[in-house]
Amino acid sequence: MTDDAQRKIDDYLAKLRRSLRGLKEEDVHEVIAELRSHIVDKAREQNLDAVLADLGAPEELAAQYAAESLFTRAEVSRTPWSILKSLFRWASLSVAGFFVLMGSLLGYFSGVVLILCGYLKLVHPQTAGVWTARDANGDLQISVRLGFGSPPPGAHEILGWWIVPLGILVGFSLVMLTTRFALWCARRYRSSRALPRA
Amino acid sequence: MREPEADKWEVQLRKGCLELAILASLWNGKLYGLEILRRLENDSDLIVSEGTVYPLLSRLKTLGLLKSEWVVSDSGHPRKYYALTAAGKQRAAEMAETWTRFSSSISALLAPLTKGPR
Repeated sequence: MTDDAQRKIDDYLAKLRRSLRGLKEEDVHEVIAELRSHIVDKAREQNLDAVLADLGAPEELAAQYAAESLFTRAEVSRTPWSILKSLFRWASLSVAGFFVLMGSLLGYFSGVVLILCGYLKLVHPQTAGVWTARDANGDLQISVRLGFGSPPPGAHEILGWWIVPLGILVGFSLVMLTTRFALWCARRYRSSRALPRA
Repeated sequence: MREPEADKWEVQLRKGCLELAILASLWNGKLYGLEILRRLENDSDLIVSEGTVYPLLSRLKTLGLLKSEWVVSDSGHPRKYYALTAAGKQRAAEMAETWTRFSSSISALLAPLTKGPR
């Protein structure tokens, strides 16, 4: 292979590597090695430019990889942690990903707070729970308190011991719903991106 | 000129088949990417783009349906071979069965459309 051909291949793969920034480093390494092998193999029989053209623009190829791989691990494990990791990568690639990340963070955060509140009621029976209070303008404010510190003067608790089963139940449901929402968005993303060129 | 809706439908259909086609191409043993592409081109009318197949291969691997290994060829050139895992074999067999059942049940319905006068 000539130096010129080698440079063309390196150029293409360097562009691809830059566009693959959403993927894990070990995956990127694997992808680059595989495609280098493909290009070198095929270029023995065909013109190198045609080989690279068949693979498509590096940016487009990287987008296909992102669509196919970003959520695959999360689909298998379905844990909030793996989903959030994928969402952070997606958010670095697109505005839609950013909004789904924000929504999911909110969902997981609220769920975790409710679950914690349910458990901490057992530790802080006097101060943990759902409280209501009037603010300076007289508007009703509802707060979920974990019981570290005392509630504001004039506030009173509304759920009592019910926060234990309710907090845990609603909290876990919220976490599950957020997981389903995120995976549903991921599927839509995949089917909108991963369309083969006929 | 074809309607865009018809094109979209065909694209979705091709995409749905591609996963099965890749799994099927590996039924008789391990192949590397370029061999899979050649197999798909020669043994089927699926027009596949390389930019679609390689990302899908990596997805199928992450899903645990395929496994891969690097093998150095006689010419000293490394190639990434794919093979079906047990889960991949099972999935391929299930998909093939569903496909066969589905296509035979719809073929009867479609016969008058393709044979009869337009």
